[in-house]
Order: sequence, then structure tokens, then C-alpha cells
Amino acid sequence: MSDFSSPLALRIRGLAKAFDKPVIAGLDLDIAAGQLYALLGPNGAGKTTTLRMVAGLAKPDAGSIEIFGVDARRDPLGAKAITAWLPDEPMLYDKLSPLEYLAFVAGLWRMDPAHAAQEADRLLHWLDLWEQRDTRCEGFSRGMQQKVALAGALIHDPKLLILDEPLTGLDASMARSVKDALRSAVDAGKTVIVTTHILEVAERMADRIGIIGGGKLLAAGTLDELRDRAGTEGMTLEDTFIRLTTPDAVAA
Amino acid sequence: MRHVPPGSFGWLALNEVRLAVRARSSSGRRGLLARLGATQVIGWLLIAAWLAIGCLIGWAARDTAIPVLPELRIAALGVSALMLSFMTAQAVLGSQRSLYDTGDLALLFSAPIPESSVLLAKMLGIAATIALTYAVLLLPIVVPVAVLGHPQLFGVVALLVALALTASALGIALTLAVATLVGPRAARTFGQILAALLGGAVFLASQIYPRADHKGSAMVAHFERLRANGFGTHGLSSLPGRAAFGDPLAIAILLGVALLLFAGAGLTLQRLFLSGYQDGGNRLSRSKPTGRASQRLFHAELTRSIFAKEWRLLARDPALAFQIVMRLIYMAPLVLAMLGSRHAVPVPPALAFASVLIASQLVGSFAWLTVSAEDAPDLLAVAPVSKEQINRAKLLAAFAMAAPFALVLPIGLAWQTPLGALITVIMTALGGAGAGYAELKLGKPSQRSSFARRRQGGVIAGLASVAIAVVFGGGAAIAVYLVSGDLGALRMVVGQR
Repeated sequence: MSDFSSPLALRIRGLAKAFDKPVIAGLDLDIAAGQLYALLGPNGAGKTTTLRMVAGLAKPDAGSIEIFGVDARRDPLGAKAITAWLPDEPMLYDKLSPLEYLAFVAGLWRMDPAHAAQEADRLLHWLDLWEQRDTRCEGFSRGMQQKVALAGALIHDPKLLILDEPLTGLDASMARSVKDALRSAVDAGKTVIVTTHILEVAERMADRIGIIGGGKLLAAGTLDELRDRAGTEGMTLEDTFIRLTTPDAVAA
Repeated sequence: MRHVPPGSFGWLALNEVRLAVRARSSSGRRGLLARLGATQVIGWLLIAAWLAIGCLIGWAARDTAIPVLPELRIAALGVSALMLSFMTAQAVLGSQRSLYDTGDLALLFSAPIPESSVLLAKMLGIAATIALTYAVLLLPIVVPVAVLGHPQLFGVVALLVALALTASALGIALTLAVATLVGPRAARTFGQILAALLGGAVFLASQIYPRADHKGSAMVAHFERLRANGFGTHGLSSLPGRAAFGDPLAIAILLGVALLLFAGAGLTLQRLFLSGYQDGGNRLSRSKPTGRASQRLFHAELTRSIFAKEWRLLARDPALAFQIVMRLIYMAPLVLAMLGSRHAVPVPPALAFASVLIASQLVGSFAWLTVSAEDAPDLLAVAPVSKEQINRAKLLAAFAMAAPFALVLPIGLAWQTPLGALITVIMTALGGAGAGYAELKLGKPSQRSSFARRRQGGVIAGLASVAIAVVFGGGAAIAVYLVSGDLGALRMVVGQR
């Protein structure tokens, strides 16, 4: 499954997590650096739980997580320093403006103030937030909030960017600008992992796709590789996804 | 609800009452105790115990006539005024929640139901919430006594209903008046300030006025003044007292007026209620150019970044800041009581105690805001900074925000006893640190908007902060007393050792 010429951005081995019942059960996953990787799966498959464990927000019951070779369980601060996490609900403060929010995030990542201010200006211009830089986030639309949160995720120049359902609730224009931002991040050498229920997004944007179900990786590869495996040549990702996530396929 | 036509006012009203009852019985679901259902079991046990006490009182007093003394009527008037002020404050907050927070108005207003029915049902829900709060305290005692031989005391139930209906009508009217006067942007803030003022108004006035003559307690002074003026025993002011002791005419007048107010508010304010909801849906942003180079906002140190963020969040939430200040004002009667009673505590120890009390209250409040009411906990959790570092920085921020207030009394004390002031500063710092540490260790995550109800989620943290205030405040008072007022006592203590 792992045929990468580039180093690994994320290496997961034997990851396990149970709440009332097992959610992740011995997950192995490799993601090469410099890719946009789409993690797909049915509802309750464990996508968000997996990514929260990678981001350090949930404690695994077992297994290992390495981010660019840094053991996230032994050196969580080292792993967090090179990672950004963007959940579906933006982590914002209503009473802060975008500029103040970015200043706070830069402080958490202990960036050099002059460099952080430059980066903030660049990101606010790039994400078309410059005019609203001093406006409190409390009245922003969902898309605007998502863009502020994205700026916060990018300001500390992470090597790995993890986004959980980044396009939920966005209109077409906002979704386009977020997708463009993600593509640009990958072009700039970053690794981006996204979960999404919008399979067309994964089909068009992702370099590689991983499908999890029943707490395990069911399949991973390029779209063509997944089609080969599912026997759905010439069909859409939706057909492939449904074929690979049927109860029989998961049980196998 | 099965026997009421769906969509009717009665059906809506029952739904609101059901929601009010469930909100009461399911508060504080977090925590192991709550998950086990133990909180509710304890609550029911307490009510049962309270009911048992009521039954015992009722049994003991079954053959004893209750004389309706003028003092009892005056007391009924005073308690009614106090309850009405608290209830109206509750109703203002409840109306705000209905208008701006609950979210079910979108469903109700999109349904083919008259707006007046929606408003009246909402008001009934608010009245039920309020009445339930006091019913739990009053009825387990009053009802058994009434059943076991004093049926006139059912008048208390009628009085409670009348007060709750009146408060609900006043609350919605005040909320809509505020929204109309100040606009949707400031309506929430002004409404919360208004509620805080209403909640404290009668209590503060009753404590401060009689202090002018420094004689006796506030309650006795009020009684004397009211009795001298015939207030509470004659005319309209006697209605609450007469109703509480079963006078049918007084009950009919009070319930009638309450129902008129309730129905009148519901029928006349429906348009204003709808427009208040519609305006409230437009969440407006406040834009204020910083006027500074953006570099000035960026800091390399974690503590500075966290302090700047916490300070901005507090400074931009005037309602919250006002609630914190109100808590200090609520403490004034305690300090006045210590200084003004016949057996008054000397000024320096009283100030030392008050200083620690204020500091522990303030640092506890600020620590709750910074630590427990963090809006973006996941952002901090994914940052490459340890939790201990963040908590330390947050406690420091809480301490710094409280410091200007906490230093006022020690500075005043320094005129009288510099050594006492130094001791007070040290004990104030220790008390504040203790309160902050208790919040850090025992506080439970919550929303900033639930500041007023923050102790519901962390009873142990609340008890710990009281214990810390008493221990350090008492220690400060004793130490200051020894060094300032009675050096002989200090020599004695030292000599004995």
C-alpha cells in the first residue's frame, strides 16, 4: 500500500480507541508528504476520532502516531509545533477581530512577532479578509469564520494541515476559495489531510484517498487504484466508495 | 398534551411548561454523579426531607391558631417585593433567552400559529420556570401546614402564582422596551445589566437605607418604619399579606391584576416580540479600527498573548464585567453590617477580611472565565504549549485583572496601620491564589454566558472558594486585629509561646 518516493508526513500503526465500543481498531495508515489526502468513510467510521488523536485532542488506547518522524505520543509538543488542526466548527473567539485572533494564535505557537505580523497581513489579503481585519468575528458568516480559522491554521506555517469537513455549510464561492487555499498549501509543499462527505471534492482534489470503516483502513490509493480494487472501472468515486463500504466489504 | 388540540394555545403552553420542568430537572448533567442520576436522587431526597419537616410543622401546629399579626403582613409585603424583584430579573433573562438564544422561535413563527399564542405560551413557560424555583422552597412547608389545619395558607400558593405571572409580564415588557430603545446590538448587554440591577435593587436598598442612623439591624429598622406608616397593614399595600393568609378578596384582586397584566402584555406586545426576534437574528459585528500597526498586536511571550486575549474578551463583554462588579456590590451589606452593628468589628480587621473576600471572589470569577469558560479549548489543546503553561498564564491573567480592585482596601488600611496593610496584601494574595487554584483544579468547562449560573456545575469548587475566603479572610482579620487594635493581645500570644 505504501509506495512513496517522498518521506512520510503521517505514519500510524495499530491505532486503537474505544468509547462505549471500539471506534478505531488497529488502524495502520501512511500518508506521504506534499499530498492532499482525502480520508473518507461512512458516518461513525472513526475519521474524526482518528484525526483528533493525530492532533493531540484525544488519547489513543494503543498504537503509534508519527508526524514527519516525530512521535506524537512521546513528544506531543514537538508534533503540535508542525501541525495545524481545523475542525468543522471553527475555533474562534466571537469578541476578537481576525487580526487579534491571528496575533493570539501566533503567540501560542511563539512566532517571532514581526514575522507573524507579516504573515497575518499576507494571509488576510490572500483570503480576502483584509477589509474585515478589525471587525469582530461575532457577526461573520460561516464561510468568513472558516476563512479566519484557516488563516489561523496557516499562520504558523505547519508542515501538516488537518481539516475535518472544511467545506460544511459553505456556499459555492466560499468553498472555491477554501479549496484554492488548500491546493495552494499543497503546492507550497505542505501536506493536507481532509475528511469530507462531498465525494466530488475528494474525486477532483485529492492526490490519494483513504477509506476507513469499522475502525480500520479498508482501502487507500489514487482514484484509479481504488477503482481497480473495487472493480468499478469508469465509474465515479461514489460508486467505488459504496462498493468498498458495504457491510460485506467491511467484514472482509 | 394528548387531550389538548395540537397547535392550540393550551397545547403550546403545555409544551413550554414541560420544557421548563425538564430544564429544572436536568440541569448539570456533567460529571459522574449526574451521569449516575445521583444529582436528581439527592435533589428529590432533599425535597422529601423538606416535605417531612413541613409535615412535622403542620402536625405540631394543627390545633394552634395562626394570629395574623401586623408584623406578619408587613413581612409578607417585604418578602413579596423581594421575590418580585428577583422574579422580574429572572423573567428578563428568560425573555432574552427566548428571543435570542433558544432557537425554537424560528420553528414557532414559521408554523401557522398566531403570534399572540406564541408569546403567551413563551410567557407562561417563563412564569412556570420562575414559579418552580420558589415552589420547591416554599410549598413543601406551606402545603402540609395548610392541609393539616390551616387552609388559609393556600393563599401563599395563589400569591406565588400571581407574582410569577406579574414578573413574566414585566420581564417581557422590559426586555422588549430595552430592545426598542437601544437596538438589537446592545439589547442583550443592557438586558443583562437591567436584570442584575433588578435582582439586587430591593436587597441593596433595604440594607443601605437604615444604615444612616446606625441603629439595630436593617430588618428591624424597616419593620419599625413600615409599621409607623401603616404600610403593609392598610390599603393596597396590605393585599400581599392578606392574600398570603387566605383573604379571598385579596387573592381575587391579586390574581386578577396578574392575569390582566399577563394577558395584556401578551396581546399588546406580540408585534414588538416578533420584530425583536427578527432584529435579534441579525447579528451585527462591531468594527473598530485598531489605529495601530498590526505588529503591535503580536507578542512573542505566551503570557502576554493570553493576557491580551483575556483582557479583550472581558472588556468587550460589558454585561459580564457588570455582573462581576455587581457581585462586589452585593458584598457591601456584609461589610456594612460588620462595621455598623452595635457589636461592630473594629475597622482594620473588617477591612482585612473584606479585602480577602473581594480578592477571592474576583480571582475566582476571573479564573472561571479564563480557565473554565474558554471558548476555543481545542485551539489551546493543539498548540505546542503544555496545559500547565497555559493554565499558569491564565491564572496570572486572572490575578492581574483582579489586582486593581483587590488593592483598594489594603491601600485604605495603610493610612491606619501600614503593617496591617502589608499583612492584608499578603493574605489577599494568598486568598486570591487559593481561589484561582481551586477553580483551576475543580472548575468545570462551561460557556461564558452562563457566568451567573457557574456554580451549578461545580459545587465543590464553590464550597472550596468559600472555605478559602473564610480561612484566609479570618486569618487576615485576626492578624490585623493583633497588630493594630490590641498589641497587648499580641504580646500575650507571643508570651504564651
